[in-house]
Amino acid sequence: MKKDIFIFKDGELKRKDNTILFLGEEQQKYLPIEQVDAIWVFGEVTLNKRFLEIISTKEICIHFFNHYGYYLGTYYPREHLNSGLVILKQVNLYSQDSMRMPVAKEIIKTAVKNILIVLKYYRSRSKLVSSGIETIESMATQIEKCQDINELMAYEGNIRGVYYQNFNDIIDNDNFQFIKRSKRPPLDGINALISFGNSLMYTSVLSEIYKTHLDPRIGILHATNGRKFSLNLDIAEVFKPIVVDRIIFNLINRKVITEKDFKKQTHGTMLTEKGKKKFLKEYTDKMMSTIKHPRLNQYVTYKRLIRLELYKIQRHIVEGDNYKGFVARW
Amino acid sequence: MNVNGTLIWYYHICKREVWLMYNHIVPDQNDENIALGRFMHEITYQRQEKEISFGHVKFDIMMQTKDHIVIGETKKSDRYEEASRYQLLYYLSVLKEAGISASGLLLYPSQKKRVKVELALNEEKKLKEIIRNIDIICSQTEPPEVEKNRFCKRCGYREYCYA
Ligand code: SF4
Repeated sequence: MKKDIFIFKDGELKRKDNTILFLGEEQQKYLPIEQVDAIWVFGEVTLNKRFLEIISTKEICIHFFNHYGYYLGTYYPREHLNSGLVILKQVNLYSQDSMRMPVAKEIIKTAVKNILIVLKYYRSRSKLVSSGIETIESMATQIEKCQDINELMAYEGNIRGVYYQNFNDIIDNDNFQFIKRSKRPPLDGINALISFGNSLMYTSVLSEIYKTHLDPRIGILHATNGRKFSLNLDIAEVFKPIVVDRIIFNLINRKVITEKDFKKQTHGTMLTEKGKKKFLKEYTDKMMSTIKHPRLNQYVTYKRLIRLELYKIQRHIVEGDNYKGFVARW
Repeated sequence: MNVNGTLIWYYHICKREVWLMYNHIVPDQNDENIALGRFMHEITYQRQEKEISFGHVKFDIMMQTKDHIVIGETKKSDRYEEASRYQLLYYLSVLKEAGISASGLLLYPSQKKRVKVELALNEEKKLKEIIRNIDIICSQTEPPEVEKNRFCKRCGYREYCYA
């Protein structure tokens, strides 16, 4: 199985013969190119065109993050899977509300179902999240009535607001208090964790989109503005609660991540390198863990589930059969 | 539309697959059990050096007797015999159109089996019908629905069709 590579050290990424070499200050390491799935770069890394050439022929995406852990962008090699038909149909779906709304609603409904799965799990562990569950459940019934994308997004925002309030009930550590979602910059540890986790999820989904015929610039929920990737943000909604949020609760409640893993800066709170690594360890473990897929009747990793979700979206776009989102079972 | 040997082959495996292939919707590239795709890959790439081309048709063996040409296709197993037979019949018809009379031979070295293939009149008719059907399938705006068949289990589109 191909692996995701995370680079924290500073150094140089080079093409060496027909593979890649990372030249750090103290170590050098060969990364056998046939086994690389995608590369995440957190350190200060230099690279050249020769390197990008081999990465492109091997169809590997590279995601870049800046010093603070903000997502900078992705080197997304030229589209290798080309089907004019899929793109045409994807554009068609995007531009026609009557086609776009049902899929957009299903994405949000699935995301909300997964949020409820997470909350119910914590209710069964005696956390005081019952009223949150009730509120979200009643809000969820209204989603169907939304008339346009903006209204839908606003609803989703409200539901997420209630959900975030429950974070304080789930988290066992008084040093971590969630007041409100703040992105740039994250104002507290929880926000820093959410931001970091979400950007990992966005890039993971993007890497998987690359292996389908879908165009990541054409979103369903998120507007397409020509420059940014947006389809990955949409599909990430489905997986954020069951992957990212669960990791956050686990890491804090098990005291794997503590206040020491953050640094306060003039403009907000950031995860330290050690903190990021702890998160990533948990994240890759989770993505590689398997569950039994009900319809395929085989074990699949969470990473694979993302691809399957994209296949369903692609199929919906091409064949118009109903997209049903992935809802976790516990 | 350009019907080719590959589409004829897939027609006997799964009609849906014909449509997907034709529209360049490819099976999963990293799928570990993409037997069917890999199988096609093998027969199309492995023989590049020894293959013989005629127009856009390629065979891997050609034998010539006094007044007759025999073209051969080596296959690993007869699991896909129907598909292979029609693929070969298609090649024969292309040759025939060029004024070359030929017959075919399917070779299964590992099973020590050979099957003779002749472009008889009824076969020619069937082939024409198949080509017409492929035309119809590919001109649809949507693929035929998933229909469970014995090839699904090893098909590269399995996750795409069943997820
Ligand atoms: S999985 Fe089955 S239905 Fe789908 S393309 Fe393959 S053979 Fe056809």
